[in-house]
Amino acid sequence: MNVLSQLIVSGIAVGMIYGVIAFSYQLTFATSKTLNFGQGEALMLGALVGLTTINFLIGQALGTLWAYLLMLPIVFAFGLAQGAVVEWLGVRQAVKAKSEAGWIMATIALGIIFRNLAENIWGRDALRFPSPLPEAALTIGPVRIQPMEIAIVIGALAIMLAVEIFNRRSIFGKAVVATANDRDAAGLMGIDTRRVITFSYALSSMTAAFAGVLIAPVTLTGATMGAVLGLKAFAVAIIGGLSSGMGVIVGGLILGITETLTGYYISTGYKDVPGLVLLLLVLSLKPSGLFGRATIKKV
Amino acid sequence: MLEVNDLVAGYGKVKVLHGLSLHVEEGRLVTLIGSNGAGKTTTLRAISGMIVPESGTVRLGGEDLTGQPSFKITKKGLAHSPEGRRVFPTQSVKDNLLLGAFPRLTGARERGDVEGDLDRMFTLFPRLAERRAQLAGTLSGGEQQMLAMARALMLNPRVLLLDEPSMGLAPRLVAEVFATIARLKEQKITMLLVEQFAAAALEVADFGYVLENGRVAAKGPAEALRNDAAVRAAYLGHAH
Ligand SMILES: Nc1ncnc2c1ncn2[C@@H]1O[C@H](COP(=O)(O)OP(=O)(O)O)[C@@H](O)[C@H]1O
Ligand SMILES: [Mg+2]
Repeated sequence: MNVLSQLIVSGIAVGMIYGVIAFSYQLTFATSKTLNFGQGEALMLGALVGLTTINFLIGQALGTLWAYLLMLPIVFAFGLAQGAVVEWLGVRQAVKAKSEAGWIMATIALGIIFRNLAENIWGRDALRFPSPLPEAALTIGPVRIQPMEIAIVIGALAIMLAVEIFNRRSIFGKAVVATANDRDAAGLMGIDTRRVITFSYALSSMTAAFAGVLIAPVTLTGATMGAVLGLKAFAVAIIGGLSSGMGVIVGGLILGITETLTGYYISTGYKDVPGLVLLLLVLSLKPSGLFGRATIKKV
Repeated sequence: MLEVNDLVAGYGKVKVLHGLSLHVEEGRLVTLIGSNGAGKTTTLRAISGMIVPESGTVRLGGEDLTGQPSFKITKKGLAHSPEGRRVFPTQSVKDNLLLGAFPRLTGARERGDVEGDLDRMFTLFPRLAERRAQLAGTLSGGEQQMLAMARALMLNPRVLLLDEPSMGLAPRLVAEVFATIARLKEQKITMLLVEQFAAAALEVADFGYVLENGRVAAKGPAEALRNDAAVRAAYLGHAH
C-alpha cells in the first residue's frame, strides 16, 4: 500500500508536466487548427536559456531561489519570441501557400534546427540545473516527496489557471476565444485573427518553456530532453482531447502514474511504453480524445 | 455613406458578382432582395472584406476600403451581421456583445459609452437581458439572431449590414425582427438589409435593389418596387 501511494505521488509531478505541455499544444490548435510538432524543443530551449540565465544570476551572488524567480520573466520572454518565430517561419508560410500538410513538415524541421542549435551552443552532454528548493525529500504521512515536485504541480496549475483567467476576463483573451470559435466571425468583430494566431504560438511556446524550467531541476537538462517529453505530451493531448483543459490534466496524471507503476512493477526499461500504447489505443478507438470533440485538421 | 461600384467578386474561379453597383445614403435603410443564389450574401461578404473582390470599389464615407481584410474594415465602422448568425457559442451573451465593441475597447475606434450601449441593447432585446450570462450556443435560433444584431450594433457602426436576419425563424419572431429593424431605422442607423421576405423588406426600407445572377436587375424607391409589375410577379407573388 505504501509503495503504491508513493508511486502515485511520484507520478503526479511528471504527469502534471505532461499535462501542461499538452495544454500548450491545445493553445495553438484552438485558434489555428495547427500544432507545433517542435513543442518539445520549445521546452528544451526554455530550460537551457533558463540554465544559462540562472547560472549567470547565481554568479552575481544571488541565492538560488531568487535567481530562479528572476530567471522566470526572461524565460517567458524568450518563449514568447521563440513561438512567434515558429509561427512566422513555419506555420504562416505553409498556410498561406495553402499547403495542407506544410505546417507539419515545417514545425518538425524547425524543431530539428532548434535541437542542432542547442547542441552547438550548450553541447551534447546533459547538464545539472540548480534546484531553487531544498533537494531533501519531505515525509508526508506514508510518502516522501521532493519540494520541487510540489512546486511543479503548483506551477503547472498556476500557468493553466492564468491563461484561463486571461481568456475569460480580458477583452484580448475573449478575442482569442472568439478566434477559436469562428475565425471569420472574429474578423468581423475587428479582431486581427492572424495576430491572434501568432500570439497563440507565442503563448504556447512560453508555456512549454515554463514547463522546461519547472522540470529541469528534477531531471537532466540538455538538447535532447524535449523530444520524448514532446511526444508523450502529444499523446496526452490526443488522449485528453485537443479542446479540453480538464482532459489534459487527467490525461497527464494517468500517463505519469501509469509510467511510475510500470517502472516499478514491470521494468524501468518499459517506462516509456504505456504512453505510446495509450496513444495508439486512443487514436484507433476514439480519435477525438476522451474529453474533447475536435479532431486534427484532415491532411 | 456606402458606395459600391462595378463590383466583381466570387469564390476562386467562380464569379458570382458581375459588376454590381449600389449606394446606401446616410440614415437610410436600403434592402437587397433576390432569389436564392443570386449573390446577396456574396455582395455583403465582398463589402465587409470576408472575400477579396476581383475588381470594383467599396467606399465608406468616401474612403476606399476595397480589398482590405475584414478586421480593418470593421475598425472603419462597418458592421456585418453575417448569414447564419455566427455568434460565439462558448462565450456568454454579454461577452459576445463586448466582442462586438472590440475596436472600441481596444482603442481602434472611439470608445464612447460601452456600458450604456450594453444597457441599450438589453432594452432593445429584453430577452438577451435575461440571458446575459448564458452561453450563446445554448440560445434559441431567434435569440441568437437578436444577439448577432445586437453584437453588430455594439460597434456603433456607420453602416450596418444585415444578412437575412429572419432566416429560419418562426413567423412571430420574424415580425419581431422586422419591428426591431424599423426601430433602428427610426434611430437613423444606416443599414443594408438582405432579405428573403422581399415584401416585408420593401415595406420597411427606403430604397431597394433587386439582384439577379450577380447583377442589379431593378432598383428604385421601395414603394416603387412594391408596385412594379415585374418585381411583384417574381418576388412578391407568393410572399410567405
Ligand atoms: N463559399 C462558397 N464557395 C463557392 N461558391 C459559393 C460559396 N458561397 C456561395 N457560393 C455560390 O455563389 C452563388 C451566390 O451565393 P450567395 O451569395 O450565397 O447567394 P444568396 O445569398 O443570394 O442566396 C451561389 O451560386 C452559391 O452556390
Ligand atoms: Mg444568402
